[in-house]
Amino acid sequence: MNVTVDVVGEGAREVTVDDGATYADLVEAVDRSPQEVSVLVDGSPVPEDQPVETDHVQVLRLIKGG
Amino acid sequence: MSLSLDATQLDRYSRHIIMDEIGPEGQAALLDGRVLVVGAGGLGAPVIQYLAAAGVGTIGVVDDDTVERSNLQRQVIHADSDVGIPKVESAAAFVADLNPDITVETYETRLSKANAADIIPEYDLVVDASDNFPTRYLVNDVCRLAEIPVSHGAIYRFEGQVTTLVPEGPCYRCLFPEPPEPGTVPDCATTGVLGVLPGTVGCLQATEAVKLLLDTGEPLVGTMLCYDAMDLSVERVPYRARDDCPICGTDPIDSIAGIEYSGGCQVEDVGSDRAASQ
Repeated sequence: MNVTVDVVGEGAREVTVDDGATYADLVEAVDRSPQEVSVLVDGSPVPEDQPVETDHVQVLRLIKGG
Repeated sequence: MSLSLDATQLDRYSRHIIMDEIGPEGQAALLDGRVLVVGAGGLGAPVIQYLAAAGVGTIGVVDDDTVERSNLQRQVIHADSDVGIPKVESAAAFVADLNPDITVETYETRLSKANAADIIPEYDLVVDASDNFPTRYLVNDVCRLAEIPVSHGAIYRFEGQVTTLVPEGPCYRCLFPEPPEPGTVPDCATTGVLGVLPGTVGCLQATEAVKLLLDTGEPLVGTMLCYDAMDLSVERVPYRARDDCPICGTDPIDSIAGIEYSGGCQVEDVGSDRAASQ
């Protein structure tokens, strides 16, 4: 399936994943670690070990610096 | 609220008072305002500077660090002669020199589970200028339980994030349910940070704090503003309150007693159920 992965600050990329792929697979496909981001679907985070059930996600980096 | 601004204050704050959106009543509200700034580092420095200049009457400052020379490339309220002294002491001296109207309440300690519930409710709002996830989750949780707004900001290399957390809107855990494992996200000491970046982001946080005290404008609720200094771009990422959020959802906790902030900041008991239901 094809999914639009919008990496905040970097723009959107089209990613093709197998059926049953997880949100973590999407994150890794855009060269991010699932540890360092939140995957958002319609403005809410989704568990990264769950299968992808949408054609568009946003990936937002979790930062802590002050 | 006292509307009796003296002649010096009428002069000092004249550019505020002349505006319809602020006026003498708004300035008096700022002078009566109490804001807690958590962290007197990169973000806290411009926040403290601008809140003091704007006439926010009482500024609390929490920080357990001392000034280091490597701080001075971005932490603009501290000077070379301050190296080695507590940041809260340096911050208080800076404010006293800038604006004698301001009372600074200093807490030379790390905000913790043991002291947060005593310190935070003394203030109208909190500016989160901290530099670590345990403090950020602690600020979110305690402020939400006490129904105190938070102006949140964070920085990384050339990037900044700002959002405003109010009792009737989504909280930080609605967007980031739990922090990453310790050590998986680098800090500024490891990656570096553009010196002017916290100035930009901290000023946005201070802007939100002043607006909240004035009860004017549209606070940045339910939106994460993401700033990229490399191309001066801004992207707004909307986010929603989650019914299953353990802090502000339909079945919220009533105490932070079950949360261990030195680890993963998981909310005890409901954490695994919540993760499974997302």
